[in-house]
Amino acid sequence: MHPAEIWIFRFVVLAFAAAFAAQIATRLRLFLRASNNIRIPDGESGARIWRVVREVVFQSRTIAGRPLVGLAHLGVFWGFCAFALFTAVEFLRGLGGPDLTMTRWFETYALLLVPFALAVLVGITGLIIRRVFVRPPALGEHVSKESVVIGFFIITLMVTFLLDFGLTEGVAARVNWWVHALVILSFIVVIPGSKHFHLLVSPVTVYLRSSTLAMVPNLDFEREQVGLETLKDVERKQVLDAFTCVECGRCQVNCPAHATGKLLNPKKLILQNEDALLAGTMDVKLADVFGRAVLWQCTTCGACENQCPVGVEHLPLVIGARRGLVSNGDAPDALGAVYNHLERRGNIWGLGADERQKFVQAAGLEIFDPAKHEYLMWLGCAGAFEADFQKGLRSLFAILRMRGITFGVLAKERCTGDLAKRTGNEYQFQELARTNIEGFTAAGVKKILTSCPHCLRTIGVDYQEFGYAVDIVHSSVLVADITKDVAVPVTDRVTFHDPCYLGRYSGHTEEPRVLLRRFGASIVEPTRHGANPFCCGAGGGLLFEEHEEGTRISQERLEQLQATGAATIVTACPFCSIMLKGAQASANSAGEFVDLMTFVEGKLKTVQ
Amino acid sequence: MILVIAEQQGGTLNRTSLETIAAAQQTGSDVKVAVPGADVSAVAAALAAAQVAEVLSVQAAALDAYTLDGYVAALAEVVQRERPDHVFLSHTYRTRDFAPALAVRLGMALVTDCVATRWLDGQLIVVRAMFQGRLYADVTTSGPALVSFQIGAVRLDSLVNGSAPAPVRTVAVAIDAGSIRQKPEAPFREAKQAVDLTQAERIVAVGRGIKELDKIDMARQLAAVIGAELGASRPICDAGWLPMDRQVGSSGQTVAPKLYLALGISGAIQHLVGMKGARTIVAINKDSEAPIFEVADYGIVGDLFEIVPAMLKALQEA
Amino acid sequence: MKIAVCIKQVPARDWQPRVNDDRTWVRDQDASFEVNEPDAYALEEGLRLKEKHGGEVVVCSAGPARVAQALREALARGADRAIHVEDDGLARGDAFAVAEALASAMRVEQFDLVLTGLQSDDQGFAQTGGVLAEMLGIASATIIMEVDVQPGAVRVKRELEGGWFQFVTLPLPAVLTIQSGINQLRYATLKGIMAAKRKEIRKAVPPAGLASRQRIVSLYVPEKTKRTEMIGGSPVEAAKELVRRLRDEARVIS
Repeated sequence: MHPAEIWIFRFVVLAFAAAFAAQIATRLRLFLRASNNIRIPDGESGARIWRVVREVVFQSRTIAGRPLVGLAHLGVFWGFCAFALFTAVEFLRGLGGPDLTMTRWFETYALLLVPFALAVLVGITGLIIRRVFVRPPALGEHVSKESVVIGFFIITLMVTFLLDFGLTEGVAARVNWWVHALVILSFIVVIPGSKHFHLLVSPVTVYLRSSTLAMVPNLDFEREQVGLETLKDVERKQVLDAFTCVECGRCQVNCPAHATGKLLNPKKLILQNEDALLAGTMDVKLADVFGRAVLWQCTTCGACENQCPVGVEHLPLVIGARRGLVSNGDAPDALGAVYNHLERRGNIWGLGADERQKFVQAAGLEIFDPAKHEYLMWLGCAGAFEADFQKGLRSLFAILRMRGITFGVLAKERCTGDLAKRTGNEYQFQELARTNIEGFTAAGVKKILTSCPHCLRTIGVDYQEFGYAVDIVHSSVLVADITKDVAVPVTDRVTFHDPCYLGRYSGHTEEPRVLLRRFGASIVEPTRHGANPFCCGAGGGLLFEEHEEGTRISQERLEQLQATGAATIVTACPFCSIMLKGAQASANSAGEFVDLMTFVEGKLKTVQ
Repeated sequence: MILVIAEQQGGTLNRTSLETIAAAQQTGSDVKVAVPGADVSAVAAALAAAQVAEVLSVQAAALDAYTLDGYVAALAEVVQRERPDHVFLSHTYRTRDFAPALAVRLGMALVTDCVATRWLDGQLIVVRAMFQGRLYADVTTSGPALVSFQIGAVRLDSLVNGSAPAPVRTVAVAIDAGSIRQKPEAPFREAKQAVDLTQAERIVAVGRGIKELDKIDMARQLAAVIGAELGASRPICDAGWLPMDRQVGSSGQTVAPKLYLALGISGAIQHLVGMKGARTIVAINKDSEAPIFEVADYGIVGDLFEIVPAMLKALQEA
Repeated sequence: MKIAVCIKQVPARDWQPRVNDDRTWVRDQDASFEVNEPDAYALEEGLRLKEKHGGEVVVCSAGPARVAQALREALARGADRAIHVEDDGLARGDAFAVAEALASAMRVEQFDLVLTGLQSDDQGFAQTGGVLAEMLGIASATIIMEVDVQPGAVRVKRELEGGWFQFVTLPLPAVLTIQSGINQLRYATLKGIMAAKRKEIRKAVPPAGLASRQRIVSLYVPEKTKRTEMIGGSPVEAAKELVRRLRDEARVIS
């Protein structure tokens, strides 16, 4: 290369590097200014590195659910990585360093890159066509000009690379080289300010993502933490999430609120956060950034977070913002009443302990005695008071007695605090949790059995933050374990509604199905099932919110289940049951519901 | 001697006063009745039909409209003059307003919301509920007491009427109108624009069991006959058969009427928490397992399309 | 405005009371306690009046040491400070003893407005507010649905029987007993709870010679407990029987 060219190139690189650094600096400052909430539990780093390999290197989440798109992206990504060394060597030469471009290995390497270049071209062209012509709803209403420009950058890079084989020296070759170099430099400068920042940030956010869905750590009252009130309070991981978001829209299309015409759109939340952070108005209230009503439309089903390929955690942001509101007295009226019920009566409906006692006596339950009983049977609020769910519990008790499992109940129960936690009433959650933990410990509880997935998650996971670890199991899992010897011929055609807190949150999608098949059901699945079910609409406190914008989430899910054509809908969560049956009553439609335990009991009795 | 304070409004006797007179009669003591107001001659004559020793018309212009200060001043004077062993009243809203101050003024005890009395060693024992009705207390007082009786605790038909009208004596009381601190306006009923089930004394509520929109008329009729408001469970309002302000439930209205009649309502928990506080709950449902029966005081398992018309007939016959 | 709200700490509503050995009171050592719910509505009304008119809300209660917890709950909802007339015996005192104890501590404060609930969930006298007013020598009105503050006076909406209402104007200072359910009760917020820890609870000594005017001779479980009466027979028979019971037994229809 001509010396003048080298000097110009050095100058150009410096200029672009400065621009890049400036962009990075702003964002780095936002990151450093935010409070540090990042903690990796001991012993997890290995698992997380492996996660980065799976999800980043092998793009497992982008390919899942959208295989063609995912593979196209994989092609582009690997192509990029493959080209890294090529770009480095060319730049070295351009800056006046040693020229390795004429070496044998480099020429071989360049040839090996050709298939990558072709893969990238095919991939990126496909992705551009999808973005500009197919226009999937996940990508939003407007075509992102930035994405199209980047797409053409990438095409240009591959084309110039391939052209280089045909051009040796001369003006055309130089022009080709400079186009390639300038496009790369432009790309680098555009990265921080665009969604392509994920190139740098997503391996970090994928690594930092909690291993637990919806991990929202306790507030530290000693340090007067009250939740996320203003933009100032947004934490470091949330700042990273804002920059790593690739706007793919997977969260959006899986969100039940969004699907039923509500304002809540998880993708929009993350991007609004990003816009607000970059605007720098740190004193603005988060409720104003997102819209207060929007924050109360979330059922905490976790579909958004569970789908995200770049490690964004939506729920800590929503619940954090809820905390900011609730700590200041700004909770929806319906929830204010529930908080008063929890404070006075220790359950979400404000019913008296004598009501629970009536059920305990009627069902012939014994008070838990560690000397006599293997399991503490945790009834929960629904188990204590909801007559319909109690039918399912009675079936469970019958099954346990048939199989010789010993269990007892506590004389008094207080709510686990699930609703308080998910709606941001952190004080109440911690009060309830501490009381329960003291109670469990005093009673000598070692193993807990529950039929409520919300209790399962709260006691099994959220209580761990208080240092309490207990063996807790959902009834479907235990019953699946103790009936392995049974086989019943298939006679029923059912569909199973996976509770979000059992399937997505706790990973138990197989056990209910194993039970159903074992006890004579053939299962026909709705589109959304298993690890990605469609919420019933009760979570996040929305059980008590009777005015919904758009269609009722429960109504939507009921229709999905009815569309399977199955005669019977099987549920395994008291709140799913309340919501779906309520939807059925309101729609005045027919359909049989049965609790999983009642289904099993009916069949077990025939073979016992 | 027991002095009963009777209540009148605009020349109309409050019938609960007759229950209180019956309660006084049942103690075996002599009974006198005092009725305050501006011109109570008609009411006094009605009271004189009961078997009592005397009826006192406590009259003053300042007593025309009820005020706490006016009544306390007048009744304090009467009680001090008559010197009864005890003073009986009905536990009405008005009594709840003035009796505490009257008791302080007279230096007497006040035992409220009583259900029965009896004698023990010459002392009057008053029975009242405590702890939300979970316990009953036999209460005695140091000296003469004001005792207010729960509405309906004493049966009206246990009142003994006299063979001849009792003597009526007018008692003039001097009340300085300027000393009355309360300035009342005329009582009124709320204009029925919005439905406020929380204020209703009786509610007839319909659920999915009503099956069809035009069957609601049957419930409406029943409500009209017994003086009740019409309420509904959520599916009825969701279907648009009744407006949302008639919905009873956890986010609809929470109600505590004297009577809640649930027709074809299963008793899903969101509905239950909205009406549990009703004093008397009646459930009519085809399904004997419906959770509503857990909270009902009276229940009929049956076809409401047969039962409700039969109820209407029985109500109209009486 | 200087507003006092008198609250009572009572055993939890769903607590099953057991009678003590001499049958004159309950065994409440194992009970959990809470703010009397009707008083919670009075507190809510007091806080709303303060938000509207400025001033302070002072929450007052008489009873044993444990009453401080109820006062903290009220402070956590926004009351500014509290007065605790501490006396073990007042837990079972009648309205006259309690009102006298409260009056002795409240007189010096010269409150503009005193609010109480209608009655307490434990003894249910429905008297303390009225007795307190007479002892303080100020006007009162009961079963109040709405409070409208005017210069030197307050115009209130009284609830009457049978769906009737009445507006009454009385001069300040006054005592009002507040009807339950008239407003949406606020919950204790985290910030409120944190702030409550720093708010003042003034301890007051009750006057000597406090005496109740009534005495429990015997406390017992009534024979009649709530039970569902299923009415059988043909629809016509059942309907007739139901109407009879509602009319004569429950006496909820005429």
